[in-house]
Amino acid sequence: MCGIAGVFAYLDVAAPVDRGELGRMNDRMAARGPDGDRLWTSPDGRIGFAHRRLAIIDLSEGGAQPKHSADGALTITFNGEIYNYRELRAELQAKGYEFQTESDTEVLLQLYADCGAAMVGRLRGMFAFGLWDARQRRLLLARDPLGIKPLYWADDGWTLRFASQAKALLAGGAVSSDPDPAGIVGFHLLGSVPEPFTVWSDIHTLPAGTTLTVDATGPGAVQSYYDVAGALAARAGGPTAAAADARRQLAAAVHDSVRHHLVADVPVAVFLSAGLDSGALLGTMAQLGARDITAVTLAFEEFRGANLDEAPLAAEVAARYGARHIVRNVDRAEFERDLPAILDAMDMPSIDGINTWFVAKAAHEAGIKVALSGLGADECFGGYPSFADVPRSVHWLRPVGWLPGLGALVRRGMTAAIGAGLGVHPKTAGLLQYGGSWAGAYLLRRSVYMPWELDDLLDPGLLREGLRRLAPLRRIGATLNGGGSLGDFDRVAALETSLYMRNQLLRDADWAGMAHSVEIRVPYVDPFFLAALPPGDVLAGVNAKAAVADIPVPPLPAASRERSKTGFVTPVGRWLREAGGGGQGTMNLSVASRDWALRVWQAGWPGPAAV
Amino acid sequence: MTTRILALVGDCYGARGGIARYNQDLFGALAESGAEILVLPRLGAPDTVLPPPGVQQRPPVFGQLRFSIAAMWAAWRYRPIDIVFCGHVFMAPLAFVLARLLGAHYWLQAHGTDIWGDRRRLVRLAIEAADQVTTVSRATRRILLGWADLAPERVRVLPNTVGDQFVPGPPSDALRERLGLGPGPILLTVGRLAASERYKGHEQVFACLPALRAEFPTLVHAVAGEGDDRARLEARAEELAQQAGVVRFLGYVPGGDLPDLYRLADLFVMPSSEEGFGIVYLEAAACGLRVIGGVGGGIADAIPDARVGVTVDPSDRTALIGAVRRLLGQGRVDPTATEAYRRPHFAAAARLLLARLVARPRRMRGMS
Repeated sequence: MCGIAGVFAYLDVAAPVDRGELGRMNDRMAARGPDGDRLWTSPDGRIGFAHRRLAIIDLSEGGAQPKHSADGALTITFNGEIYNYRELRAELQAKGYEFQTESDTEVLLQLYADCGAAMVGRLRGMFAFGLWDARQRRLLLARDPLGIKPLYWADDGWTLRFASQAKALLAGGAVSSDPDPAGIVGFHLLGSVPEPFTVWSDIHTLPAGTTLTVDATGPGAVQSYYDVAGALAARAGGPTAAAADARRQLAAAVHDSVRHHLVADVPVAVFLSAGLDSGALLGTMAQLGARDITAVTLAFEEFRGANLDEAPLAAEVAARYGARHIVRNVDRAEFERDLPAILDAMDMPSIDGINTWFVAKAAHEAGIKVALSGLGADECFGGYPSFADVPRSVHWLRPVGWLPGLGALVRRGMTAAIGAGLGVHPKTAGLLQYGGSWAGAYLLRRSVYMPWELDDLLDPGLLREGLRRLAPLRRIGATLNGGGSLGDFDRVAALETSLYMRNQLLRDADWAGMAHSVEIRVPYVDPFFLAALPPGDVLAGVNAKAAVADIPVPPLPAASRERSKTGFVTPVGRWLREAGGGGQGTMNLSVASRDWALRVWQAGWPGPAAV
Repeated sequence: MTTRILALVGDCYGARGGIARYNQDLFGALAESGAEILVLPRLGAPDTVLPPPGVQQRPPVFGQLRFSIAAMWAAWRYRPIDIVFCGHVFMAPLAFVLARLLGAHYWLQAHGTDIWGDRRRLVRLAIEAADQVTTVSRATRRILLGWADLAPERVRVLPNTVGDQFVPGPPSDALRERLGLGPGPILLTVGRLAASERYKGHEQVFACLPALRAEFPTLVHAVAGEGDDRARLEARAEELAQQAGVVRFLGYVPGGDLPDLYRLADLFVMPSSEEGFGIVYLEAAACGLRVIGGVGGGIADAIPDARVGVTVDPSDRTALIGAVRRLLGQGRVDPTATEAYRRPHFAAAARLLLARLVARPRRMRGMS
């Protein structure tokens, strides 16, 4: 887990790589890798890589980067972890490849030598890397299938630059910070910036599950090698298991994923809430024989003694599995103190990530470098209300689409009524217009603002241009294209995994975790794990969300099951609302606060035309 | 297998100007790699210059409708066609339709001012449909990506190339004498004197001359080029320079004579703000002359670093005077600074772009 950056002056007329620029990019990512800091430029000066190291696997110099192949023809700068690197290493050794180190990075170099860009399909883990092939004079950029590790790139037509953070590209000094209307509109709609956009027009996200090859003509077309909907469709086409078998299959999949995610040369901790998902991770870790496990839980003064306080139940779970339990108290004063640093670390505007900031901070204080998180379980097991709401909306409201214009007419009428004081949420007005399609119903469910509400927030020209290029409904609908005739559960799983989890949760986990030099591992976010689970309708049938409690031996305590799922519920929502300028009134547990979204936006992101 | 290209262009062989020159360089490079090209120009005098082997050029056809009909007919006769090349966004809708009808790849070339002005929806949609777009400068690419919905990787930059005749050499005393330029220093500007191209910044240089003459009493400003704005500029020169004879209007200088003119001068000054690329900067630098350009447009690509020259804000007279003073003291340009703009690099890049486009899957005839 590290920070990476690179510059490739691919056109002959471009100036050679400026090591000063590489250094500035690397410095902006200092927190991502406190254990090492290196630059490399090719002898002809046409390409250069930077790397900041957080040493997790092979703590020796053997794991240092940028790393070269033995013959010097391949060079890599890599961020992430490859959990199946030992299997791949053995396989390559059997083919005659020789290894000099114990690092997973060297496995990447040898695997590329063996099968080129197709290597990405063999990797189990989280990764983003740049790999220079000096023989082919070709740069390969790649990102993991589900988008755990970020990768941004900018191309001015002469020179291509990439980095783990968009802000690192800006810090280099050669990339403009002109605003991108599509990214800005995307943030206001969804609370996070949907890939491949960023809020800067010259910086793009390399989408999850894709590669980009750059040669003397510049970057080629982005190539996709993994599609969530397609993977879920393939899973649905497999054999259907009986309920008991399905539970066993679920438990085996979790065991296998956790086992892979424990690969490290430093201790692996866990972020523990009172919920089932993180508890099941801890129980499985213990069952697999992990020693000296540390569990970190956030507690809040506001919740002390109340049902919302997660600490007592988390302590019971930690004790059950013999984990050292750290309860970290956070209060509003600390939140306000940290707010400037939070906004600075936030690589792209986001309405979430505050909880992760504090739990990662607590982990760092405890000397923890790696922690497992339950992130992604809700997407796999149907933990969100959207799994019920979105299909119901589509099935009931689809016929409205047969009367063109009716939905829009009703929306206009209701918007006027809401403006005049009708006490319902403004998004309700769009129910008939949007609720009858999968993309529309999902947008209604996940949006912070709906498109028609942005007239009051953004410059009309920026909004028009942003909506045209973002094409939100088409973009949301496209996540289902590869899935054929998916069932309702899998459709929502594909939408949540491809959009909310990727653009919001995983991006937040990266910047908030890395700001404290803590690697967050997510066993529920793993294509191998997804493929090993029973099909979506079977998961829904066995109530996988609850069945997770029975995965570890012994199972989670009864109190954990009885308690409604709250995740890391915190008073942060209220702090955000108040920090965003909202009233002091009742407690608002939703961090998806409109006021907070505006506060984040006004905290210094670009957009001369934005209000 | 030979790649067959139908090229719709504004002008090419037998025409003057940067875009015609660029088209000739590009088609020459592609033909050298084995491509066959049929060029359909709207302007020019084709009989004056013979296209290189592999390239044919039809007589120019002026008028939008006539050109469209002629292009359709020529395309039909020239089948099979692998690529429809469009050399001006004005013709993008026609190129798009032809490419779809023929099931061919569609390659669009954008220069600069052509895309800065034309933002009609039809043109934008025709640009967005291109399989590959090439621009002469990074600035043009950036402007294009700012308003057209194109994947950034589909828009490539192929900078102008500098001709082999533009190399350093000794200054010609005979030419100095013939032009009556005196001992110098000589500031040189080369560009059309057109009322529509006042952005080239001639007057901004004239306004600096009194201050510069105070320091360099024999300094002159030589202005090469012709156009409908010449009489006005001559009057402005006398007015702003505050002295007759300081600005020498040389009229049109044939391409063959330009290298000697560059070698004779001490500094190339054209604080233009809207060049799509500005090949003259590069030609001057390739002859060893330091250059001053204006901030804006694609000029930064023709003056890529301080070894070649600087760009200044044309409206900042103090900065312009300072830059002239500084660069006059720096001597000639290191010839390696412009090496990457030489023809072998351009030809290699053009061939790679052709290969990249041909490697894309072909569109089915009539499909969008």
